[in-house]
This record gives sequence, structure tokens and C-alpha cells, in this order.
Amino acid sequence: MFNPKKKKEGKSVTALDSVDLRIEQGELFGLLGPNGAGKTTLLKILSTLLLPTSGKAYVAGFDVAKDFQEVRKRINMVSGGEVSGYGLLTVRENLWMFTQFYGIKSRVANERIDSLLEKFGMADKKNEKVRTLSTGMRQKMNVIRGFVTDPDILFLDEPTLGLDVNASRIIREYIVDWVKNGKNKTVLLTTHYMAEADQLCGRIAIIDNGKILVCDAPQKIKKLVKTSTTLSLDVSLMMDKSRIRAIRGVDKFTSFDDAEKDVTHLRFVLEGDAPVSDILSELTRSGSKIISLQKTEPTLEDVFIKMVGKGFE
Amino acid sequence: MKSDLRTFKNAAWLGWQMEANWTDPFLFATYSIVKPLAGTLILVFMYLVIIETSGSGMEMADSPYFTYMFIGNAFYMYAAEVLFGVTWVIHDDREHYMTLKQVYIAPINFYAYVLGRAAIKIAITTVGVLITLVFGVLALGVGIDLGSVDWPFFIISLIVGLACICILGLALGGISFLTAKHGEGINEGIAGVFYVLSGVVFPITALPTWAQSVSKVLPVTYWMEALRRGLSPDAMDQLKASYPYDVTGLGGFDNVFLMLVLVVSSVIFFVLSLGIFRYADLIARRKGKIDWTSAY
Amino acid sequence: MSDTWLMRNLRAVNGRAYPRIIGSKREPSWLFFDIVLPLLTVAAYAYIYKFNNAQEQFIGYVVLGGAMTAFWLNILWSMASQLYWEKEIGNLQLYLMAPISRMSILAGMAVGGLFFTTLRATSTLVIGIVVFSVAFTLSNPLMILVIFVVTMIALYGMGMMFASLYLLFGREAYHMSNLMMEPVYFASGFYFPVKYLGFWAAAGASAIPITLGLDALRQLFFAAGSGDAFLPVETEAAILCVLSVVFVFLAKYSLDYMERLGKTSGRLTLRWQ
Repeated sequence: MFNPKKKKEGKSVTALDSVDLRIEQGELFGLLGPNGAGKTTLLKILSTLLLPTSGKAYVAGFDVAKDFQEVRKRINMVSGGEVSGYGLLTVRENLWMFTQFYGIKSRVANERIDSLLEKFGMADKKNEKVRTLSTGMRQKMNVIRGFVTDPDILFLDEPTLGLDVNASRIIREYIVDWVKNGKNKTVLLTTHYMAEADQLCGRIAIIDNGKILVCDAPQKIKKLVKTSTTLSLDVSLMMDKSRIRAIRGVDKFTSFDDAEKDVTHLRFVLEGDAPVSDILSELTRSGSKIISLQKTEPTLEDVFIKMVGKGFE
Repeated sequence: MKSDLRTFKNAAWLGWQMEANWTDPFLFATYSIVKPLAGTLILVFMYLVIIETSGSGMEMADSPYFTYMFIGNAFYMYAAEVLFGVTWVIHDDREHYMTLKQVYIAPINFYAYVLGRAAIKIAITTVGVLITLVFGVLALGVGIDLGSVDWPFFIISLIVGLACICILGLALGGISFLTAKHGEGINEGIAGVFYVLSGVVFPITALPTWAQSVSKVLPVTYWMEALRRGLSPDAMDQLKASYPYDVTGLGGFDNVFLMLVLVVSSVIFFVLSLGIFRYADLIARRKGKIDWTSAY
Repeated sequence: MSDTWLMRNLRAVNGRAYPRIIGSKREPSWLFFDIVLPLLTVAAYAYIYKFNNAQEQFIGYVVLGGAMTAFWLNILWSMASQLYWEKEIGNLQLYLMAPISRMSILAGMAVGGLFFTTLRATSTLVIGIVVFSVAFTLSNPLMILVIFVVTMIALYGMGMMFASLYLLFGREAYHMSNLMMEPVYFASGFYFPVKYLGFWAAAGASAIPITLGLDALRQLFFAAGSGDAFLPVETEAAILCVLSVVFVFLAKYSLDYMERLGKTSGRLTLRWQ
């Protein structure tokens, strides 16, 4: 539980307010929030760079204020857009340097570095000086820096910022694998990319103005906003829709016949996913050809906009 | 022209913020006073030691050489601070704040920007110079009599010399595009060259002959001499009379000729400096060094 | 973590020293700036003494003082204020998160810079001796080594103490470093024997380790040095030993204290202060 205040040039700013979170060992936990919500402040407290004004924070069972040396042995942090290391050193040298601050023997460090560079598609850049790297490559190097020390707990503050689609995908896959296959590895990830949080995280907390608004699995959070599913179909022109309307679980149903294109647009609002297969079966039975299908579920974005705009329920 | 003036003004404002907004006015004033005075006191005590160990019984205030040294050291602050300041603009903006590329690609006159930043350095240094001179006159008996000052000669020499220093700083700034973070040493080095070779704290005749030839090529040599003759003509006459030879090495130059040589040498350095800056700028752009960082 | 605390911190020293050492190889322009240019100040002051027919040993004092400025500048700019640059670049928070002593990071910076500092000091000394025909004596090399080592320990301890200010402050600390160049050259007697400042001023200045270090070295390197001495060499050596212990402890304490203050106020990683 925290309640820290941060004095800023004579004005008091409450950066985090009564934050009460518990992240379990082995979790990939997401923290979503708008700019200035307090995500980075929280991460700084947990990574022992900032002291809470009041309350306590524990990482791996150790108090971040009193036992910070024990905490530091077990963590690492990567921030999006950070500039780490020295432009004059090569990628490999920079990464090696940071491993030395964690007491990792050079042989072990170099093996890990080579392996991670390979996995992240940077093996050909290992002898390039950091200052010659593009922004995206630099960020990949930063992410590697986070993993190379093999921490028990990794704080990732917008790690895919500035990365292209492919690079982001590689990193996300690695994060998931690392948590899944590692021994009790925990990740706290902050991100603006809803899809990223939705895809990666077992649980998500939404934070705004220093307060945690909700904390649960993504699916459950989405249901707070909307329980229904929208199914949109384009099928070959279909005159008789009575049997479709009769399917159980179809809450709302609209259709539009486009004779010119020989297409019928169907739109269903369903309670859950169960009626989907019935609808498809009925369409097939009636001889209709399905041209396109789109299922829309409530997204985290819906949740985010609704909750952040709304505040506490 | 209007846009250049605006750039100059905005750059000067930025320069002031960089120089002064890190602390409260009292601490800033203390900093601005203590730094120049401490540098001066090194020389004062060196000279005191010389007098004390020589057993001559002479008083510091009676020595025209002391006035010579004091004035030279006071105005040398311009050479050190302005050279440093102009070079630092490029270095700091690039390495520290990483804003150089934004400024560089903006549709402004880059020279106006750099000189605007330098203008504040000149203003702050002027305060330091004045404080040093006042301290010297009041506390140490430095031979400056306001009634004897040749104001037109002094003011014109001051302006010409400052312009030369600014442009030289620009050349060094251009070179710093191409060097790593320890390129700070460039401006210190060049300022150091002037300190040794331009008769700042001792006459150039103390140097070996070959070095004196170099001294006579540097505009700062004539600048120092002109400033002293303008500010303290009596002390300079006394100094000349105390030695059986041309102690300053420039005794044969009358004021008009001295001013002419100062102007001509400044113009030559002006052209050279501009050339150096343009060339360094071109190389920096070719090698992608406008926005590189080199800290280690 | 498989390493002991000591090994981890030794690796940290090695790790942080590495960029310094490699940097000096990859950007060799420092060779000119750090060897040739410091000679200019030495030359200027030497010529002041020469022009005024000062006693011969004073030129030697200037050469010695000029050589020692290398170490003072290394402490001010390559160690203490380096934390400011690390904060601005964004590396500081990465160092602070690591399970190592802050003194290891600073020691790494110092060790990494020691190579070119020593080279700068030695070249100033050698070239100064050759150009100005200064006569140095080596009557007691062991004592010279002892004085040099304790002075450096005390000085670097003091430097680490200054470095702690950068954990809390930004540009103020940087300007304070800037402010400490000339006043220290003056008060510590880099270019003239400190005894000429008067007893109490010299005593006060002795809190800066290099004051007594220089004074002792002057007595050991120059036959006429004892005539310009503030205190006997043995007394100065003893005081320097005490100062080394004091400053190393103060460094640890102030680094911990400033870090804590910085964490409480949120300024530890705040850039562009």
C-alpha cells in the first residue's frame, strides 16, 4: 500500500494514491494508464530509485526502502526510449559492462549476450558502436540489457516504444517465453498498447491519477464494460432469415440486402460466443455462402476509455 | 536582418537561462565574483612571493609590472570565457541537451544563434572583469586612474578584440563538431596559447625568439597591449622606462599603428575562422557528426 | 548472484573503468589536449617567475603544481561531476539499480581515468623539467611514494564525497565543480608555496589533501623546498593518512545520505535540473 506525495518546485503532487497491488511470482502483469498516471513513478519505487512518502512496497519479499540491496540483486528495469551505455562502445561491450555491475562472470555474460543477440536478430550488430545504431536497434539492445542479468523480476516500462512491428513481435514473444519457461520469473510491464497488454498479460491493472481503478484478468475487465459480442457477416443474398432470428442467444439481429452486389449484410448482438457456431451452421444449412465474418468483442480500449473517463465505479 | 536579430535575441535569452537559472541570484552572484577573483589571486600571491623572496622591499602597488600583469589577466577572462562559451554552445547542445540538430535544421542563421549565446557570456564576463579591476584598484593599488584613461582608444580596442575572440570561438566550435567529448580541451588549449604567447601576464620578450615571432602574428597580443595603453597609459610608460630595452616587444608601435595592426590581424583571423567553421561543418555533415554523442 | 560482495564490486570497478580505457584508445585526440595543452599554463606561470628573476626552485614548483593539476581535474571532472553527465545521459539510474556500492562506480571512473591522468601528469613533469631545466632531486623515493599514495587516497575520497552532491543536485553541483578549480589552485598552493598565505589560511587549506601533498612533495623534490615548507614532511604525511581515512568514510556516508535524500525528493534521476 502506498500513498506517496512528490513535491515539485514548491507544489505538492500526488503521484500515487493508495495503490494496493499484489503481483504473484511467475506472473506477467500489465499496468495500463494514460500519460502522467503514475506508472513510471510506481516502477521507480519498486526498482528502489524513489522512496514512497508513506506506505510500504515489497519486491521478492524485501522492503524497497530498507532492504534495497537485496531487492537490487533480484531485479532489472528497461524503459522505452532510454539511452543506456556509451556511444563509443560496441553493442557487446555495452551489454558486458552492465553485466559486471551484477557480478556475472565474463564468460557467462558473453554467452548470454551472444545468445540474446541471436534471438533478437542483432547478432550482426554486436561489434557495431552503439552510436551508429538506429533508435529501434538501441531499444532492442536496452531490452537485451534487461534480460542478460537474468533477474527474478523484470520491470519493463514501455519496452516496445519506437520499435517496428517485427521487432515488437520478437520481444513480446521472448517476454512470454521467458516468463513461461523460466523458473519463477516475474514481469511487470507498462504499456500504452492495449493489444500488447491484452495479448501478453495474465492480469492487468488500470491506473489513472495515481489510483488503481481495476485489477483483474483482461477478459474479466472487458466484461465490466460490455458482456455482449457483436458478429458481422456478409453472405450471399439471402431472402429468408426467419430461422436465423430464432436461434437461441441472438439478442439483436439486423440485416440489409444489397441486391446489386448480391450480398446480405447480417449483424448479430450475442450474449457470449455460444450462438456463433449455431448461426454458422444454419447459414451453411440454408446454402448461403459466407463472404466475410467479423467478431467484435469489447476491447481493453473500451474499458480504458470508459474507466479513465469515468473514474471509480 | 530582422530574423537574424530575432534569432540573436532568442539565443541570448537561451544563453542567459543556461548560465543563470540553475540557482538563486545570490549564489549566482557569488559564483560570478569568486571565480574571476580566485584566478587573479593566484597571480597576486605569486607576485607577492617574488617580492618577498627577492628582498627588494618593493611594494606591489609601486610596480608597473604588477599593473601590466593585472590588467592583462583581467581582460584575458574574455579570451578564456568567450572562447569557451562559443565552443561550449555547440558541444553542450550536441552532447548534453541533444538539441543541436533541431537548432541546426531550423530556418535560422546559425551564426546569429551561436553569437547570441556568446553575447551572454560576454555580458557575464564583463561583470567579472569589472569586479576584478575594481578589486585590483581599491584593494591592491593597481595603477588605473580613470582620469588618465584614453577612452576612445580603449573602447575601440575592446570592441575589435571581442569581435575577433567571438569569431575565433566559432572556428573552435566548428572543430568541436569533429571531436569527442574531450574537445572541451580545444578551447582551453587555444586560450592557453594566447595566455603564454600574447603577453597576457608577462611581456613577450620573456619568450624565446621563435615564440616571439608567433606572438607577433596573434591579434590577442596587440589587443592586450592596446587595452593596457588605453586603460593605464601612465603605468605602461613607467614600465617602458624601468627597462633598458623594449620590454613589451611592441614599444616601436605608436597607438595608431597598434590599432591598425590589431584590426588587420583581426580581419585575417576573422576570414580564417569563418573558413575553418565552414569546412568543419561540411565534414561534420558528411560524417554524420552533427548529432552524435561521444560520452564515455 | 553467485559472487561475493567484494567480487561483485571489483567487477563493477572493472566494468566502469572499461569504457574509459577503451574510449581513450578510440578517441585519441585526448593525447594532444591532455599532454600538450596543460603545459601552456605551466609555461605561463614559469615565465612569470623567470621574467621577475624569482628563485630557481619556484619554476620547479610550477612544474610540479602543473603536473598535479591533472589529478585534481580528474577528480573534479572525470569522477565527481561525471555523475551529473551519467544522470543526464540516463545511465545513472541503471547504476543505482545495480546491487553494487556507488563507490565502485566512482572508483571505476577514477581507475579508468588514471591512465591518462598519470600520463598527463608525467608528461607535464618531464617536458617541464626539460624545457625549463628544472632540477628535481630524488633523495627519498620511498617517502615520495608514500606521500603520493596517501594524497591520492585522500583526494579521491574527497572527490567521491563531492560526487554525492550530484545525486541530489544537477547544474548547481556542476557549477560548484567549476567554481572549485581556481580557488583550489590558489588555496592549495599549486603554483606558490602555501605558507605564504599565512599560517591560518594554509591550515584551513590543508583540509584539501592536495595542499599538504604538494607541500610535502616540494620538500622532497627540491633541495630548497624545506625553506618554503608549511609543515615538516613527516607531520604532513601523518595528517594525510588521517585525511585519507576521514574522506573515505565521509564519502561512503555522504553517498548514502545524498542517495537517500535524492530518492525521497524524487531528484535522484531527475534530468536537466
